[in-house]
Amino acid sequence: MAYEALDFYDVDSLLTDEERMIRDAVRDWVEENVIPNIEKACRDEVFPDQWRVDLGEMGVLGAPLKGYGCPGLSYMAYGLICQELERGDSGVRSFASVQGSLAMYPIWDFGSEEQKNHYLPKMHAGEWIGCFGLTEPDYGSNPGDMITRAEDKGDHYLLNGAKMWITNGTIADLAIVWAKLDGVIRGFIVEKDDSGFTAPEMTGKHSLKASVTSELVFQDCRIPKDRILPGVEGLKGPFSCLNNARYGISWGAVGAAQSCFSSAKEYALSRIQFDHPIASFQLVQNKLAWMLREITKGQLLAYHLGKKKDDGTWTSEQISLAKMNNVDMALEIARMARDIHGANGILDEYPIMRHMANLESVKTYEGTHDIHNLILGHHITGIQAFRREL
Amino acid sequence: MDITVIAETTGDGLHPVTAQLVGAASSIGGTSTVLCPGGVGAAEAASIAGVTKVISVKGDCFGSFDGGAWAEALNSVASGDVIMAAASPSGREIAATMAAMRGIPIVQDATALRPGISVTRPIYSGKAIETLTISTPCAITLRANAFDAAGGGGNADVSTVNRSADVAVAVREAIAKASERLDVAEADIIISGGRGMGDPANFSHLNEVADIIGAAVGASRAAVDTWDEIPHSMQVGQTGKTVTPRLYIAVGISGAIQHLAGMRTSKYIVAINKDPDAPIFGVADYGIVATWEEALPALKAELEKL
Amino acid sequence: MGIAVLMKQVPDTTAKITVSGGRVDESAVSKWSISPYDEYALESALQIKEAGGVDLIAVTCGPARAAKMLTDAAAVGADALVHVLVEDLSALDSTQVQAILAAAVKHTGADVVFCGKQAADTNAGSTGPGVAHLLGASCVTMVSEIAVDGDSFTAMRATADGNERIAVSSPCVFAFDKGTTELRRPNVRGIMMAKKKVIETMSPADLGVDMGGSSVSIDGHSPPPEKPPGQKFEGAESVATVVGKLRDEANVI
Repeated sequence: MAYEALDFYDVDSLLTDEERMIRDAVRDWVEENVIPNIEKACRDEVFPDQWRVDLGEMGVLGAPLKGYGCPGLSYMAYGLICQELERGDSGVRSFASVQGSLAMYPIWDFGSEEQKNHYLPKMHAGEWIGCFGLTEPDYGSNPGDMITRAEDKGDHYLLNGAKMWITNGTIADLAIVWAKLDGVIRGFIVEKDDSGFTAPEMTGKHSLKASVTSELVFQDCRIPKDRILPGVEGLKGPFSCLNNARYGISWGAVGAAQSCFSSAKEYALSRIQFDHPIASFQLVQNKLAWMLREITKGQLLAYHLGKKKDDGTWTSEQISLAKMNNVDMALEIARMARDIHGANGILDEYPIMRHMANLESVKTYEGTHDIHNLILGHHITGIQAFRREL
Repeated sequence: MDITVIAETTGDGLHPVTAQLVGAASSIGGTSTVLCPGGVGAAEAASIAGVTKVISVKGDCFGSFDGGAWAEALNSVASGDVIMAAASPSGREIAATMAAMRGIPIVQDATALRPGISVTRPIYSGKAIETLTISTPCAITLRANAFDAAGGGGNADVSTVNRSADVAVAVREAIAKASERLDVAEADIIISGGRGMGDPANFSHLNEVADIIGAAVGASRAAVDTWDEIPHSMQVGQTGKTVTPRLYIAVGISGAIQHLAGMRTSKYIVAINKDPDAPIFGVADYGIVATWEEALPALKAELEKL
Repeated sequence: MGIAVLMKQVPDTTAKITVSGGRVDESAVSKWSISPYDEYALESALQIKEAGGVDLIAVTCGPARAAKMLTDAAAVGADALVHVLVEDLSALDSTQVQAILAAAVKHTGADVVFCGKQAADTNAGSTGPGVAHLLGASCVTMVSEIAVDGDSFTAMRATADGNERIAVSSPCVFAFDKGTTELRRPNVRGIMMAKKKVIETMSPADLGVDMGGSSVSIDGHSPPPEKPPGQKFEGAESVATVVGKLRDEANVI
């Protein structure tokens, strides 16, 4: 049964021909390369290197960046790419989000000309993998108080500290590391062979199993002076990156939800119990209708946000809303889909619990669900509720 | 109405479809002149009822297949209101080339004909049926086994002509069909085994049947999970491959939902299972309640006869 | 070397075909695609193009919606795009379609034509051989592989017993069967460049083709006959009966 993405309010008709062609190319690639191999990749807990090569060849890494070999696609197209990748698996979309929005973007926006020319073309081609080191073992939702520090030693910087939960870390050729230099957060490009730098893999995950998650450990790590990102200081740097990634995730979540909905609908029509397909039972129809409702709302949210991203009229709070809403609804849809699949839903014959487990991570990273709630609360009331004076 | 029938051959004799072409020609009130490329099957063609004349067309160009050369040679002696051939690859090519040479329209792969000439044919790979009317002169190719063959007892005149057209397509090498197994995702016919086969070694019986009809061999998830010898690449069903063959034979497969999801879109499903209540019988077009030990040898024998 | 690749836009092979008012309802088709055998033709032409010296012109005869298919061909590497606008292909007979395509090929100046062995909607297979004759070109059908050999070509074509390697020179029409490589996927660069590629659009009259009337008229379409309900048989003795039915009732062997 060929995949038909749910598009109840015909968002398809709002896209340009180019956007549709790009989306279809990625969709076909996912269908042919990810879907048949993802369950094994999950069981083996590997990110197949061929996917890095394919994504590089397709030209989708760093899609919205202009120049330096990058295509300068619309943010709408970037969103569609994320949607199709995550329909396959959140881990695949995480690879692309990190590479494009978190590793290439900061070089593009805050790097020197030399850095842009040196890194971006190879990263777009998938030859060099990047990762983003912001989160620390003790500093997740509160990155501003990070303790990883850089010291200016005259002819080099010395980095000390550790980052955790870093997608792509162990397989990355370079890391964009945010550390405090004289108390001010700056971005540094650390390359995998720099002395004093290791990136051990974190194992034992029940989520994003086909994605590489790592620690980045800096013990008197020496990096040349030309590795600092000159163009930004403070949290503004990492947060700009996160905004782009979060935007992509708001589309990605729709893809995961569409995958779960599609499977649930097919299953409900085939599964016979008490002499009838379970799709004929009212409780099941209620669930499918709820899924349709939430996916449709999420799609329109992502689409309009895409338009604003391309117009330049977006705000970070608008991105918070879309990321938070869409991931939340996708996770609920995955759970509901598991319910519809009955016991079969726990097998990797179906994508359901893989999406469900993945979405737990997606709900947590790039700003937890509750942090986005507080961002909106702050926007509404003008009162920040992140930090308390006790 | 005089109909020129291009004989279809197999090896050194006529393919059974030739008699069906003559039968179809008669059914719309036509008399048949049969052209035999390279002279093959001329005597046999003369004995088909409804054939008034056989022309054995000989020439160097018939040593190997060159559609353009054959069409040119045959066209020079074709005179009917209708050019009729089998809808085989060579039949389609020859008839289409002759039609272009004569500036007449062609309709391919007819499954029914009526005077007029009214033609029924499948379209969209059989997802719909088309009925059309074509004026004469025209060319029509007919699907094999869709028309009743004309009987025997004919006694037509056989004449021989020599026509050699220039051959443009030179055959360098003949390569026999590869003996490697087809992939389940691509095969037109699949025979699949389930846990009911009892032992992975018994899949050899499925291989034997597959070899006779050029089928791929698949397996249910249960078989793949139970036996290391049955690789995941053979699995049909949910995360295995979804298949859409024209014929799917399920042996010793109960028909659990995961397996059904993978093969439900097969055109025709045959099930062989010893359990009369197995759910697979709910989706099978033809169900045989029997053990595979008894059914497979019988299946092999019947298919060999075809 | 100029290679004209003839392509037809058809309902995607996964799309549902519905009959309404005695005709297949085109407006209900959810997805249109390039006919699958034409994809193999296009991929083969692209592979030959990789060696250099090839001008690949994608040609279609069809309604306005077929333009998108030409843009898709540009996205994977077609150099030029030719669209002969015909709103209703089903109203034309084989001689008319072939006349249009032969004229279009002449217009491109290409000596070599690649096409699919048959289109996924009409399932006929007349176009390749018919166009070859009109162009005074040789024709090879059922091609699965092709290679340039100096000034000529060698190709693998299917036979009843397997395959044959053949040799032929241009001008020639090659009608492709399923090949070893699927049509390549477009990448972002290809898609963006395809946006800028102009499609040369023309009418049959522009090509000097006098249409005249069609000799074929479609009386109607109907859905396929319902399969008879499943039949169940007891015992291995019934195998012979079932095999007979597979041959005569179901026509699958």
